[in-house]
Amino acid sequence: MKAILHVIEYDFRNFFRYRWFIIGLIAMNLADLFISAIVFTQMTSLVNYFQFFAPGLAVVGLFASAFMIGREINMEVRREIHHYMLSLPMTRTELAIGRVLAGGLRGMLYMTPLLITNFIVLHFPTLPQLLLILLTLFLLAIGISGVSISIAVSTTSFEKFVTARGVVYYMFFFCSSVFYPLSVIQVLSTKGLWPLVTFAQINPLTNGSDLIRSFLLDPEVYVFSPQMILNVAVFSGIFALLATFAYSKILQRH
Amino acid sequence: MGLRKLWLVIERDLRMFIQYKFMLIMRGIWFTSQVALFGLVVNRMVQEAVPDYFHYYVAGVTIITLYSTAMFIGYDIFEEAEHGVFEYLLTLPVSRRELVLGRSIGGGLRSFIYIGPLLVVVLFILGVLNPLYLLVAVASLFLFAFGVSGMSITIAVVMKSGDKYDILIGVLDALIVRLSTTMYPTLYMQRATPAYAAIANFNPLTYASDLFRWGTGIEGTLQFSPLVGVLALFTFFFSFTFIGVVFYERRLEGGSWQ
Repeated sequence: MKAILHVIEYDFRNFFRYRWFIIGLIAMNLADLFISAIVFTQMTSLVNYFQFFAPGLAVVGLFASAFMIGREINMEVRREIHHYMLSLPMTRTELAIGRVLAGGLRGMLYMTPLLITNFIVLHFPTLPQLLLILLTLFLLAIGISGVSISIAVSTTSFEKFVTARGVVYYMFFFCSSVFYPLSVIQVLSTKGLWPLVTFAQINPLTNGSDLIRSFLLDPEVYVFSPQMILNVAVFSGIFALLATFAYSKILQRH
Repeated sequence: MGLRKLWLVIERDLRMFIQYKFMLIMRGIWFTSQVALFGLVVNRMVQEAVPDYFHYYVAGVTIITLYSTAMFIGYDIFEEAEHGVFEYLLTLPVSRRELVLGRSIGGGLRSFIYIGPLLVVVLFILGVLNPLYLLVAVASLFLFAFGVSGMSITIAVVMKSGDKYDILIGVLDALIVRLSTTMYPTLYMQRATPAYAAIANFNPLTYASDLFRWGTGIEGTLQFSPLVGVLALFTFFFSFTFIGVVFYERRLEGGSWQ
């Protein structure tokens, strides 16, 4: 456990080295909420878009920041820093678990001010609701960190990593209910894009943002279902295991 | 000023750009997902307010892509300073002015070459009502691309740190795109907050995207005269190309980039 904590501490220290990147990310997130969402609110009567988008924004922030761990690990592989990491007095599994957990916890840390903004502009949840939100988002962050690490260790090329990251980003963001209600996404079916609709339904970002909405917005419109937590937990379990396995095995090959 | 030497500088920047193939692929994926996913779905969401939002948005995304690829020249300048390429460039038998002007033109031209194929697809989607209007619109996009390239060079040479440049560009991107008519009409910005609409009126992205929509026939009437739009983009192009050239030329002397 102590070894894992050391790895987490190492990754947190690295996280704060990217403070300029984080400030940029926050600026973009806030511009999305306080400019784009406010204007789109004037353009649609389907939902109050500002209120609808606020929970989605917390999930977007969580996704982007949890994904940053992959960029660092890919850089370590390219610069062969992983040889140093592998020489540390800890098992491969401890190292791998530490990295996956650190990625997720960093995502949670970044997302916290965005979540608090949600509570302020929407309303505060009850304590059990808050705990459920935090649990689901933590699972989501771990899963995203897992996806990011799995991609990062699969290639030594930064360009390939960036391209793969772009594809994953856009798939997860645009095929989810982060930006628009799931009912509206059904329009893609009429264009022959039904696999994207199916993906949007099981997308963990959809489940994460809809879960927050079910507690912070009208519960009759956004109905909470335990299935949401289950979907996120399955996603998290699969990718956390995959990342742990890939990180501990693939690094030894390089 | 030798045109051949100027062309050599431009050609170098064009060749450099082709090296960023993964960045170009990623931009292409971004463009496709914006059009095929975000555009289609949001079109459904806002169809009461803007019946043809899909076409409106496709034109806007084209301008955003042109803007972001033209901004890329600034990263090149930082890379060159970091890797000692500046010194090499200064040893070339090319005058400072040719070098600087060539870079500014190269930055804009390569972004235009990049969006060329995308533009063909976009024009296929949007259609063209009046070829003359389209010609005026495309010419004004050239001014826009060179202006953005000049702006990127100006910021890159003013900033000393690559990190700070990165963040400033990120923040600028976030604000300049969202406070323009690339994603939504001015009317709704006005309804949301008049301040947003007021800022958008001074934003070159607003003029570029509205002129492009006018050129393709999506917007029959503009909130400003097309001549005013072209003049605004010309002013933007002239100011930043001039400022960029002067700043870059000064920075080249005395190793102040180190």
